Amino acid sequence: MAGGSEYIIEVGGLCKSYGETRALEDVGFNVGREEIFGYLGPNGAGKTTTVNILCGLLDRDAGEVRVCNLDIERDPVSVKQLIGVVPEESNLYPELTCKRNLEYLAELYGLSRTARRKKVGDLLEIFNLADRGTTPFQTLSRGMKRRLTLAAALIHSPEVVFLDEPTVGLDVPSARDLRTLIQTINRNGTTVFLTTHNLAEAEALCNRILILVKGHVVTEGTASEIRQNVEKTRTLSVILSADVEGKSLSGACPAVRPVNAKDGMWHLEVTDTHAAVSQIVSFAEKQGVRILEIRTAVASLEDAFMTILEDKVTKREGRT
Amino acid sequence: MSQVVSALFISRKDIESYYSKPPLVTWGILFPAVLMLAIYVKDPATYLNVAPGIIAMTLLFGSTSMAAIVVTFEKRSGTLQRLLLTPVTHRTIVLGKATSAAAYGIATSLVITVGFTLLLGMHLVNPLVFGVGLLLGAGVFSLLGLTASVMVKEVFEAMTLMNFLRFPILFISGVFMPLESLPAWAKPIALVSPLTYVVELLRFGISDQSYFSPPWICAIVVAVFLIFSWWIAGPAFRRKASR
Repeated sequence: MAGGSEYIIEVGGLCKSYGETRALEDVGFNVGREEIFGYLGPNGAGKTTTVNILCGLLDRDAGEVRVCNLDIERDPVSVKQLIGVVPEESNLYPELTCKRNLEYLAELYGLSRTARRKKVGDLLEIFNLADRGTTPFQTLSRGMKRRLTLAAALIHSPEVVFLDEPTVGLDVPSARDLRTLIQTINRNGTTVFLTTHNLAEAEALCNRILILVKGHVVTEGTASEIRQNVEKTRTLSVILSADVEGKSLSGACPAVRPVNAKDGMWHLEVTDTHAAVSQIVSFAEKQGVRILEIRTAVASLEDAFMTILEDKVTKREGRT
Repeated sequence: MSQVVSALFISRKDIESYYSKPPLVTWGILFPAVLMLAIYVKDPATYLNVAPGIIAMTLLFGSTSMAAIVVTFEKRSGTLQRLLLTPVTHRTIVLGKATSAAAYGIATSLVITVGFTLLLGMHLVNPLVFGVGLLLGAGVFSLLGLTASVMVKEVFEAMTLMNFLRFPILFISGVFMPLESLPAWAKPIALVSPLTYVVELLRFGISDQSYFSPPWICAIVVAVFLIFSWWIAGPAFRRKASR
C-alpha cells in the first residue's frame, strides 16, 4: 500500500482541453478505499477523458491527480503497478488464447512463473472461463470477452480497478453476471471506479456517485442524497372510490397540484407531503368518497439525473 | 533490469503473434531471392557486387515494414493501449517492439545470405563485420520504422510514408550501384543515408572491400545513427502512441 491517505484517488482542479474544446473544467473528487465509486454522465461528459488521465494514458492540462498516494505523471510505472483498467472496448490480443493473454500480462506485471500459473488458473476459474483457456480471444462471445478483460485487469491484484462502461453491449444475463463479479471484486478489498451512463447499474452497485455534465461536476453523493437534492416536488398517487373534479380537489387542497387522472388514479404534485395527505383526507370525507389507495412515488436516480441535465440546459439557455 | 526483461517479453509476444506467420516469412524472403536470382542469371560473374545491397535491402524492408505494421495494427485494435496500461516505460515498449522487428529483419537477411552461400557460392570473408552490419542496421531501421508508424493511424499510411523514404535511398545508397559510380551530386546525399554504411559493412564482410577506409568507420557512423534513432523514437512514441 503506497502512503496512508484515507482516499485512494484524489483529484483537484483537473482541467483538460482538446484544442478549443474543454473536456474537463476544474473537476475535483476523492474516492475512498474499498468503495465502488460511480462516475456518471451523458455521452461526451468527459468520463473516459478522466479515466485516461487517472490511468496515465493522457496528460492533464492542470490540476492535481493522486492515485494510491502517487502522482501519475511523476511516477506512472508505480501507479500502473497498483491499478487495473477495463476500457469500454475489450482490448486484449485477438490472436492469443485466453490463457496466453493472461500469462503475457502477468509477465509484464512482474509475476513469477509459479505465481503466474496459479493466478491465471484461478482467474479463469473465477470468471467461468476455465474451459476456454486455449480458445483465441477473438472467437469468444462479447460477454466472455468482457469477463476476460476484467480478469486481465485483476491479474496483478490491483488496489483500484477502473471500469469504463463495463456492461455496454452485453445481454441482460451477461451484464448481471458481470455486476455480480464487480461486487465480488469489491468485497475482496479492491476499490472500483465505475464510469457508466446506466443509472440503474450505478444505483445498484455504487456507494457514492458523481455526476459529470460537459466536463463539470454537477453533484456528488450517495444515490439517495442525489435524489433528495433534486426532489423539489414529490408525486402522490391517489385512488378514490368515486370520481371527483380536479378543480374542487385543488381548491380544497392548496398543497396539491393535480397533474392528471388515469383509470381512476390521480397523480398529484405536492410540495409538502404531510399537509397534502391531511388535506386529501379532509377533502375525501367532505365529498363522501373513500380513499382506496395513496402512495408517494420516490424519484429514481434517473429522475434526478434528468432533472440535473434539464437544470443545466435551462441555465445555459438563460446565459445565452 | 526488470524493464529489459519486460522488453524481451514484449518482443517474444510479437514474434509469436506476427513474425512467425508463414505469409510474413515468405514475403520477407521471396522478393529479394527472386531479384537476386534474376541478377545472377543475367550476369553470374558480377552478382557479388550486388549481393551486399540485396541483403541490406532485405534488412531495410524487413525491419521497417514489420515495425510499422505491428504498431499501426495494435493502435487500431486497441492492444497498444492495453500495453500502455502496464507498468512498463515507453522506452521499454520501443525496445521490445524494435527488438522483434530487428530480429525479423536479421532472420530474413540471414536466410537470404545462407541461400546465396549455398546456391550461388558466395563466401563471408569477414563474418564478424557482416554480423555487426546486420545488427546495427536492423536496430536503426526498426527504430526508424517504429517512429514513422506512431505518426500515422493506418497501416497503409505507414507503408506509404515508409516507401516515400525507402525507395529514394535505395538508389543513392550503393544498393544497386557502387558508390564510386554515383553521379557527383548524389554522393553527398549518400553520405547522410544509414543504408549506405550498412551496405558497405556487408560488402566488407563479403568481399573484404569497401568504399570507406578504414571500413570500421561505417560501424561508428551506423552506431551514431542508432543512437539518434533511439533518441527520437522515445519522445515520438510517448507523444503519439496513445492517440
